[in-house]
Amino acid sequence: MLKRYSLLALALVFVSIYLFPLYWMYVTALKTGTEIFAFPPTFWPEDPQWMVAEVWSRLKMDVYLKNSLLIALGTTAIVILTGTGCAYVLSRIRNRWMDAVLFVVLMMQVLPSSLMVTPIFVAFNQVGLNEFPRTSVILAQAAKVLPLYIVLCRATFVQVPRELEEAALVDGNSRVGAFLSIIVPLARNGILVTSVLIFLQSFGEYVYSRSLITQRALQPATVGLQSFMGPNTSDWSGVMTYSAIYVTPILIVFVLLQRQIVSGLTSGALK
Amino acid sequence: MLVFKNTFRDGVGFDAILVTLALGYLVLFSAFPLVYNLVMSFQEVDLFSLASFDRPFVGLDNYEDVLTRTEASSIFFNTVKFVGISVVAQLVVGFALAMFFQLDFPLNTWLRGLFLAGWIMPALVVGAVWSWIFAGDFGVLNYMLQALGITDAKIFWLSNPDVALYSVIIANIWLGVPFNMILLSVGLAGIPEDVYEAAQLDGASRIQRFFTITLPMMRAQLGAVISLGVIFTLQQFDLFAALTQGGPANSSNVFQYWSWQLSFQYYEIGVGSVISVLMILFVVFVAAIYVRSTRHEQVM
Amino acid sequence: MDMKYYALLTTGLVSLATASAAQQVELDLWTIDDPGEYHYVMADEFMEAHPDIKINVRTVQFEDMVNDLARGVASGDAPDITYIDNPEVALFASRGLLLDLSEYIEASDVVNAEDIFPGPLSSVTYEGGIYGLPRGANTIALYYNADMYRDAGLDPDNPPSTWAELYDAAKALTKPEENVYGLAFSAVATEEGTFQFLPWLQMTGGDYNNVNTEGAVEALNMWKAFIDEGIASPDTLIRGQWDSTGTFNAGQAAMSISGPWELPRMSSEADFDFRATMLPAPSADAERASALGEGDNVILASSDNPDEAFMFLEFLMANMDRVWNEFGYLPASDVEVTDPKYPEIYAVFEESMKYARNRGPHPEWPRISQAIQGAIQSTLTGQASAEDALADAQSRIDRVLN
Repeated sequence: MLKRYSLLALALVFVSIYLFPLYWMYVTALKTGTEIFAFPPTFWPEDPQWMVAEVWSRLKMDVYLKNSLLIALGTTAIVILTGTGCAYVLSRIRNRWMDAVLFVVLMMQVLPSSLMVTPIFVAFNQVGLNEFPRTSVILAQAAKVLPLYIVLCRATFVQVPRELEEAALVDGNSRVGAFLSIIVPLARNGILVTSVLIFLQSFGEYVYSRSLITQRALQPATVGLQSFMGPNTSDWSGVMTYSAIYVTPILIVFVLLQRQIVSGLTSGALK
Repeated sequence: MLVFKNTFRDGVGFDAILVTLALGYLVLFSAFPLVYNLVMSFQEVDLFSLASFDRPFVGLDNYEDVLTRTEASSIFFNTVKFVGISVVAQLVVGFALAMFFQLDFPLNTWLRGLFLAGWIMPALVVGAVWSWIFAGDFGVLNYMLQALGITDAKIFWLSNPDVALYSVIIANIWLGVPFNMILLSVGLAGIPEDVYEAAQLDGASRIQRFFTITLPMMRAQLGAVISLGVIFTLQQFDLFAALTQGGPANSSNVFQYWSWQLSFQYYEIGVGSVISVLMILFVVFVAAIYVRSTRHEQVM
Repeated sequence: MDMKYYALLTTGLVSLATASAAQQVELDLWTIDDPGEYHYVMADEFMEAHPDIKINVRTVQFEDMVNDLARGVASGDAPDITYIDNPEVALFASRGLLLDLSEYIEASDVVNAEDIFPGPLSSVTYEGGIYGLPRGANTIALYYNADMYRDAGLDPDNPPSTWAELYDAAKALTKPEENVYGLAFSAVATEEGTFQFLPWLQMTGGDYNNVNTEGAVEALNMWKAFIDEGIASPDTLIRGQWDSTGTFNAGQAAMSISGPWELPRMSSEADFDFRATMLPAPSADAERASALGEGDNVILASSDNPDEAFMFLEFLMANMDRVWNEFGYLPASDVEVTDPKYPEIYAVFEESMKYARNRGPHPEWPRISQAIQGAIQSTLTGQASAEDALADAQSRIDRVLN
């Protein structure tokens, strides 16, 4: 019993060290522009500035957040639909062809978005995709994160025992049937966690959105964040307030979710 | 006709369709930009000729230009250091934390979830927060080190040319830990309990169990996490923009940031593309190693 | 109802609609402002005065403007009017992408080229043509904390006017035990670093095309002394002007070199007697120089409606007297600002504007600027002597110029 609580204490230490930057974000959101530069630094603001309501309404954050959500959901959907099967096949078949496929998949995500965006802009412009800016961002971002999804899901499928699949085939299932009713449910841990990571990455997508979406009403929250940054001035308290508004709800949702996903649920099924 | 249908339901056709779907998507949307960068590295490219392929070819001139610059070799070694140290440290810290939170104690899964914070904070915010933590004069890191009596004088984390790169690496490790930890947690959860129990009955020690069971069973996850870690680290760009701009005097500059500076700040786009191509070559190397490693995966 | 009447009504409506659409001219305007700021406010006022002209304003991030504009030009989506930062005008003008306004200005009753200050005028001038009109200007000066002056036994009514005086004052004001630096400025490896250094170079007779001079060596060595002797923070090397001045506002630096954009934050947050004086010169009789910031309104050569676009530029020039009080820029032309905000500091900046000099012009300005930043950074980190660093910068610049 004592051991469990000393472990908890240790865990709290780790978490508080790790979360210090997050804490600093919240505290800075409440500081004045000048207090940020004060030494010794203040761990709690002297004169807290609550700008949440002001920032929310001035920047019309509901519109931005809705767009972020659309982009993140769209990207995640495309990635799950196109990537899951590929990851599965790559985990089951090993030959030179599949090596080549895995190699190409990894290769495709080498360059940072900031170096990919110009060719993408040029190509999308040629085929008229710039008429649908949010869709463009979803398509480009899905291509960006698809390799990540495939590589990670593949690792999960590797852990699913082949015998279960073979048993299902012997029982008269088709491969499609075995894939959907046996394999995917067994790997859902990994699929869900990876999807969550993809969702979060896409929620924070910035480079493509900035370049491909010109209309304010279609831009995601990350682009809106830039409006605190001028050529010579930056409203740091505003930036931090804005991002606190945006980070807090997602963090809560995913702390709850990951607990469901990573722990327990399927380790039972695997036994 | 029936055979044809069956192959898609039960045979090779099923695999082929699944693979082609993803591969086709990637080639359609990702291959073009890569080829585009490759072509530009052999051309004289100007801000205004970005949109057309009709540009003069200059052979290897861009390559010669960039590789003979005095800063090229130090930036290359910075890149290697940045990637190497970041990936190893992220993995070690991530794996250790994943195993720690696997232990049985109250709230363990809740607390683990909080590590996702690093993954969802916007890049601009992460950069700004770290730049204040590291600030030499008013930074909270110096304040705490001095208050705890660890250091006497202030360390100029970002403006001391000998330290700047390592400061960016620290921030980058912070960013990479949740990714490593959460995925390795999934891997650990996937190892059946009875394997450990059997080993314990055979009298294997904790350390033996780690090397004979945990590591081999995690091989697929580890390969994926390491290779993706390398690629993510090579893509890390925002931290450089927010913390040091590659300075002072290029002491913390790396390929990905330099390439961007050349292309989009100084408009030497052909030269910037050369750096992109070098990065692609580097990833070819990493991808080849990864693909080889997957041959030895432990498949249950 | 009678079908015929119905048909008549609809065609009438349709033709009415097309007629008014044909009359209304649409102008696309790109800006770095957000809604509620300069271009948005001005566009609204202009549209009210000219209901037949509609202006579509789009915000582009400051650091993306050149790249977005180049892409817009390449893909045929360029706007009619846009904001461009001073040193970038030459790049676009040299490619024939901007409309030469010389004839428009000659015919105009509102715009008079002679009224524009020489610095801003040179920022829009390229090889004899005038390719834009400044929307305002800014420059830098020396802010100082008068309370700290008194505490250190200095006379706050007699701030430093030469480099030597600046050094002495900064030295006297430095109090390491209280975490107070004498001076804050920016030597960051971005355009801001060049912006801060160029006036020092120009005051000793050099300029962007002639950096390897004795005066430049003297200036760089002085900057190096500021850092080596603990008069300014080592973080000066990686910090922009806004964050540097943040330390001044927080009382961690006694003086700060920066521009008028600091004033709103400073006046609400700095709880001391802050004042400003002109950037010190090498000696009392040396020629003066100051930096020139802000940008210009330009018309793209591809615009279908250059006449209407110029009308809007005229309208902006006619409102130059409002930019200080309403938007925080200094006027770029000789206008009377009635009842200015922060009157004493305004007077300092207004005087400094007379000496504000353009960066360049040169179509490859960013590469020249990079060479200058390189010299600053390698000198201040001690990797090279000022002489060697400037010689290297000069050879890089010569390669661009030739």
